[in-house]
Amino acid sequence: MQHGYWIRSKPVYHSLSWQHRAQAHVLVANGEAGRSIVRLLHQRLPDQPITVLYHPTQEADYSKSLVSLAGENLHVFKRESELWHRFEQILQQSVMGTRLYAAGNEYFLWQATTLAASHGVLSGDVMREQASSLARSVYCVHCKTISHRVTTNIAICTGCQRHLLVRDHFSRRLGAYMGLMIDAEEPGNVPEAEEVYP
Amino acid sequence: MSALKVIVSAIEQVADGICHFTFAAADGGELPGFSGGSHVVVSMPAHNRTYRNAYSLLSSPADRRNYQIAVRLQEQSRGGSRFMHEQVKVGSRLDISWPVNLFPISRVGHKHILVAGGIGITPFMSQVHELLRTGADFELHYAFRSPQYAGFIDQLQQLLGKNLICHDQSQRQVLDLQALLSQQPLGTHVYVCGPAGMVDALLSTAYELGWPDAHVHHEEFLAPPIGEPFTLRLKQSGKSVEVGAEVSMLEAMEAAGVDAPYLCRGGACGRCELEVLATDGVIEHHDHYLSDAEKGSGKKIMPCVSRAKCSFIELNL
Repeated sequence: MQHGYWIRSKPVYHSLSWQHRAQAHVLVANGEAGRSIVRLLHQRLPDQPITVLYHPTQEADYSKSLVSLAGENLHVFKRESELWHRFEQILQQSVMGTRLYAAGNEYFLWQATTLAASHGVLSGDVMREQASSLARSVYCVHCKTISHRVTTNIAICTGCQRHLLVRDHFSRRLGAYMGLMIDAEEPGNVPEAEEVYP
Repeated sequence: MSALKVIVSAIEQVADGICHFTFAAADGGELPGFSGGSHVVVSMPAHNRTYRNAYSLLSSPADRRNYQIAVRLQEQSRGGSRFMHEQVKVGSRLDISWPVNLFPISRVGHKHILVAGGIGITPFMSQVHELLRTGADFELHYAFRSPQYAGFIDQLQQLLGKNLICHDQSQRQVLDLQALLSQQPLGTHVYVCGPAGMVDALLSTAYELGWPDAHVHHEEFLAPPIGEPFTLRLKQSGKSVEVGAEVSMLEAMEAAGVDAPYLCRGGACGRCELEVLATDGVIEHHDHYLSDAEKGSGKKIMPCVSRAKCSFIELNL
């Protein structure tokens, strides 16, 4: 396990809060992170229009709470791809001053950021809250497969089955941490995995 | 700091009070390349002191045969712009710094709104060449008092066509910043250069509309304001320098032979920042670089434009 040091690429997340100087507000969230949007909607609301895009998952569905708070400003999507499609449409029509908020697991946050970046929105302009599991998406440097929901410091690549050490080097473009073969020098010598990203 | 040696090859009046200078390399070769929005610092050896002012480069970055700058004669010139207008002739030799860019076009922007007021047009002259070359989506808003003050207007009209939007105040054509900034697509960047009032109005309009800071760019070179004389003590060298009412701290240090750091000399870049150790008065911050918190702390000063109302100030240099 790597800990106790600072690495530039590893993102730091904050709690979402309303940016009251704005022309509009667009929020995207999935699963467990619906609770963060509920919390945000309990606070004093900004004067400008609010749009909430939410994708409930098997683990958590906050649709009912959200609909009672956001009403017709809420759009619930059965599939995540549908949420991204709608987000893309909104980005196309939005003007400068539209504030973007994302809450979800890390992979979701960086998908939102990457999509926004394709419309010229800088990474720092998207507010992000890591609102659910700390599980990591891991990019295998050997076969380039991304394995999702990795909760351990050593994980088996879903592409090439190598044992990967999950590092802290993070790619914002991929939304994933670097994973590299842990027993390359001594094949078979794989330390026991520990759950460090619950 | 190594200087570029240039010869003035042409001088032309382009608008009321605005002179346009063309520089060629003294050795007849090519000048260093630069990017759109760059400036150079011109050294002007007047009889009693050397003035150094920053001027934007106007020509196309693709053309390295010469550099072009425009100098407006400041009504309350400290001497620099007057020197350029009255002393510099075709054939004069000058030292200039290498080009520095504190006002580049964002490479990740999807649309660019350039807003110029009066002589603030100068940094955009090189930028428009770069934007045209890359095929970027952009428009230039040019506000001026009346057509005789609108330098380079013909050249810009020819170059930009409908991408140039003029706001002639003598025709009551007012630039509506609220309307301009409230309807721009995501990914737009805005750049402003002009009088302080115009820059401040644009910055606050963008802020109120929720434009992220990273999408709002401005360039403003300040002239060091006149103040009261005081004594500058330099801790490391043990030197004591008298700062006159009409010279900046940086100029006073240079005249005393102190090798102080600098780049833009206009309160924009931050290169000349020095640590304040003690003073018996108050610092008068004039720069655009330090944050309000830093200015309030009284621990830092930009000696190119800021000074102090005191009998002495001690710096860590």
